[in-house]
Amino acid sequence: MITQMNVRGLLFDPYNNAYIVILRDEQNSDMLPIWVGKSEASAISFALESITPPRPMTHDLMKSILDNVDAKVLSAVVTDLKDNTYFAKIHLWYGDSEYSIDSRPSDAIALALRTEAPIFTTEEVLRKQNSEELERWLENLKPEDFGKLDT
Amino acid sequence: MSVEQNTDLIPLKVHGVLVDPNTDTQIVILRDETNTDVLPIWVGTAEGASIRLALEGLVPPRPMSHDLITSLTNHLGMTITHIVVTDVKNNTYYATIHLTSKGIERTVDARPSDAIALALRAKSPIYVTHDVLKRRGGENLDAWLAKLDPQQF
Repeated sequence: MITQMNVRGLLFDPYNNAYIVILRDEQNSDMLPIWVGKSEASAISFALESITPPRPMTHDLMKSILDNVDAKVLSAVVTDLKDNTYFAKIHLWYGDSEYSIDSRPSDAIALALRTEAPIFTTEEVLRKQNSEELERWLENLKPEDFGKLDT
Repeated sequence: MSVEQNTDLIPLKVHGVLVDPNTDTQIVILRDETNTDVLPIWVGTAEGASIRLALEGLVPPRPMSHDLITSLTNHLGMTITHIVVTDVKNNTYYATIHLTSKGIERTVDARPSDAIALALRAKSPIYVTHDVLKRRGGENLDAWLAKLDPQQF
């Protein structure tokens, strides 16, 4: 099963000096937070705010190359999550064939937003996200966070 | 128009990427084959890092944006034949990426940083027009370059 996700926004994570792209499903019941670098975050924020920079940024160039040969972005899919790293694929239609190309989610999202292509993820990724998040939360707990039982 | 017939284009090699300590940006140093002309192009941090990775032949564990474009063009059977730094206006350089797809040559407008990052990955030649090379910094540039620490290269 795949679920369509919408980009809800970008947050700044001051602890890791990185940005987080927030993807949510249509019912707002599931969320994927994806950590991205500064330049990828700015590529996504330009597309979210429909800003056209004076010179083409890297993802504008990506779109321009695809447009030039009439290749169409069908979708971007967040396909896997391993050790806090998300994996994605870009699905393209070119000539009379479909192509799927391995990508970082940040690039896939930046391109999907520019080409108005839908973004999907799998139920497995959503499930892994929930469990990894719990593990991360547990790891960050300090013993003193637990209630003192001996008082 | 083939490149060989166009004597107005000068082939350049990427000599290195420097960090400009004054502006915290990066400078890609292009040189002609006889090392007589230098073309420095200021680029952003991410683009500088991408060009450096390509120069050192390093393949990151996950594809960076320019690796993704290379992968897209390879999958779709396109070849980046060459890139050209075509113009400079108000200190902004312009470039074109020349691609062939199904035997047809196509030209795409790009920033030189993206064009160079892609040319290095595709092992395609980099050219500059005679006019752009003539109009770059001039003597100030030579003085500025002379002050740079060679170890930064």
